[in-house]
Amino acid sequence: MMLFEELLSKEARLEAFSRFHRRIVIIVMNATVFPLLIIWTAISILLFPFSWIIWITVNRWPTERIVRHFIWIYGRGWLIIMSPFVRFKKEKLDILKERAPAILIANHLSFFDIYCMALLPVYDIAFAIRSWPFRMFWYRPFMGLANYLDVEHQSWEKIIRSAKRIIERKGSLLFFPEGHRSRNGRLGRFYSGAFRLAADFGIPLIPLCIAGTNDLLPPHRWWLKPASIRLRALSPVDPREFSGSSGHMEMKKVVKRAMEETLLEMRRPAQ
Amino acid sequence: MNDLEIVEIINTALARELELDPARLTPEASLFDDLELDSLDLVDMVIVLEQAFNFKIREEEEVRSIRTLGDIHQFVIRKKHHLEGNS
Repeated sequence: MMLFEELLSKEARLEAFSRFHRRIVIIVMNATVFPLLIIWTAISILLFPFSWIIWITVNRWPTERIVRHFIWIYGRGWLIIMSPFVRFKKEKLDILKERAPAILIANHLSFFDIYCMALLPVYDIAFAIRSWPFRMFWYRPFMGLANYLDVEHQSWEKIIRSAKRIIERKGSLLFFPEGHRSRNGRLGRFYSGAFRLAADFGIPLIPLCIAGTNDLLPPHRWWLKPASIRLRALSPVDPREFSGSSGHMEMKKVVKRAMEETLLEMRRPAQ
Repeated sequence: MNDLEIVEIINTALARELELDPARLTPEASLFDDLELDSLDLVDMVIVLEQAFNFKIREEEEVRSIRTLGDIHQFVIRKKHHLEGNS
């Protein structure tokens, strides 16, 4: 009986220590990551004009491509800043190297989902997003130069025109078809813009499944927690397999089902 | 097919194809504010209705003035009655 009580108390002490340790890690994480992110953002903004001059002189790339590459490098910096507290796992992402241009779609769990796209092995991606990220004045000029699409306020005709130009230059487009961050971790209703574009332009649609960013920073929480983030690409979908005026709607259903199954499997704890 | 059956078919088709919550499909629900549809959803909605009722409505001017689910119900009911009257 004494031994049992002793073991129990030892277990309780270990658990209390573990909780204490976790709290300390969260405090250290928030005390370091946010200031480092601000510093990294400021450095990136200051470096951009010089980098742009060098890039355009050496490579003669169009400005939008240079800015997208620059944003991707900025995202890589974010990954490094986060890496002491967050484990990142890339799964089957090499598929993207061979399939440009493409329409990419990803589920949406957190503000930091966009930053996680720096895990992708390709950088020439224009994001199609809602209006509110354009209100962040320190990012807005870069989003404009990179030709990001404001799917909330731009007309569909303008989105098609911009998408056409990006695709002709071998760039890809990334959509969050739910439109909002998920509040319960499950996939929400999909809007059909990404699927319609893939069908109209006849280019592959590649679903991306992201898990764990809602542990890092879910909607309505302002402090970070350590997390394990996984980003996985599913097999490209050929829009020509879905014909007719409602083909894009059928494609949406098939893709959503595949993403739901994958996310369920990704969230399951490893055996 | 009576009016209630038409409403039922519309609601079932929209809930299934546009992933709408059936509980929110009330006649007064605004398509943009309450059901959070966008302009492309409206195009999809027209396709869904055309397939469900086997008629063509995409060129009709009246479609552009639809604002609520009730407007859709009334529009389709009128269209069905018109087609049945002509046949």
